[in-house]
Amino acid sequence: MTPEVQRLERLAERLRSVDPVMPSPGAKIRGWNLVLAAVEQSATVRTRSHPVRRLVLAAVAAAVLLVGGAVAASADSLPDSALYPLKSVVENVRGALAFSPSDKLSYHLDLARTRLTEAEAMIARHRLDLAGQALSGLTDQLNQAALVVQAEQQIDPALAASLENRLIQAIATHDQQLAGLQGQVTNPAAVAAITQARDRAAQALQTAASPASSNGDGKPSTSPSGRGQGTGASATPHPTPKH
Amino acid sequence: MQPLGKAASDDDRPLIERVRRGDQDAARILYERYFDRIYNYVYARLGRAEDAEDLAIDTMTRSLTRLDLFQDQGVAFSSWVYRIAHNATIDHYRRQGKAILVPLESATMPVSADPSELAVDQLSNDDLREALRALTDEQQQVLILRFFQDLSAAQAARIMGKSVGAVQALQHRALGSLERVLHGRANN
Repeated sequence: MTPEVQRLERLAERLRSVDPVMPSPGAKIRGWNLVLAAVEQSATVRTRSHPVRRLVLAAVAAAVLLVGGAVAASADSLPDSALYPLKSVVENVRGALAFSPSDKLSYHLDLARTRLTEAEAMIARHRLDLAGQALSGLTDQLNQAALVVQAEQQIDPALAASLENRLIQAIATHDQQLAGLQGQVTNPAAVAAITQARDRAAQALQTAASPASSNGDGKPSTSPSGRGQGTGASATPHPTPKH
Repeated sequence: MQPLGKAASDDDRPLIERVRRGDQDAARILYERYFDRIYNYVYARLGRAEDAEDLAIDTMTRSLTRLDLFQDQGVAFSSWVYRIAHNATIDHYRRQGKAILVPLESATMPVSADPSELAVDQLSNDDLREALRALTDEQQQVLILRFFQDLSAAQAARIMGKSVGAVQALQHRALGSLERVLHGRANN
């Protein structure tokens, strides 16, 4: 063993002999009381986590019910209702979930019927601004339906013919309702809006029957002049269903 | 202070499980087992009884309330407690802005007949503790664990996260450094 190692060994032994410094009894008791309180609090937090989870679940369930109820209530809402924007959201979701041509056509025709109902209600409430928007929405949906039929003509003519017939029937029904509505209103602006809607609906039918290549921008290919013809007289022959 | 036996980690396991289930008696047993040791460890680092008490209590509180963080995978509970104490000490230093060292100049050191040989037997406990605090952090830690806490090189290695060989080498360097500090103080 070298002298250095011997010296360090002695130093190490001297360190081992250093008396341990002990905490005062008071410090130890104080420490235990603090530790015990912390342990109890920690255990309390753990046991409380279950009620917290239950509370969160209850809140989520309430939110789901609330949103679900609002969605359900919005289905029948009218354009002057606070829930109406939610109705539009739900309709867009429905549209995103319609994949087949038949489903897409049903979707647009369903919305067209809804817009017509809304227009009738708004006219009854003398909300001509909202009635005009609803009628515009009606013809937009019919045009979208017409584009569905038009696109299908190149793919499956038989299916396209079937879809076209459904569109014709729907437009004929809408036209009858619009004609009845037109006879009930006296306000010139309302009459003009209804007339325009009837014309545009008839033009949508022409779109459905025309080749798909006639436009490429997703708009009906036949009616550059179809809009704004609110003259009070129908400029376009109105359809009758094929039987 | 009872020696920390090698079987301590095995004895701790059932107690840890009981504490996890909220058993206060088990917490009390672990507190009694480790508080004095941790106090002694922290006091050796800081040299102030008040600070040592606070940090020892803080260490035990963290150890017994954050058992969810303790994974008994090759690391003994004792090693985990020492690591918490070590980190608490480092945090204490940081909060203070610098290490709180008892000035060596204030201590009176014995001088041996042979200037090259240190009269270790005549050194007081306080002299040794104060000189030890002049060493590096790791050197202090290894000497405290090995000689004040009477832990084996393997136990110290687990606490410090080093190999046994590295701890032995560090211990050798630490003793040499301590000797030089003591010599320097004795010659002034």
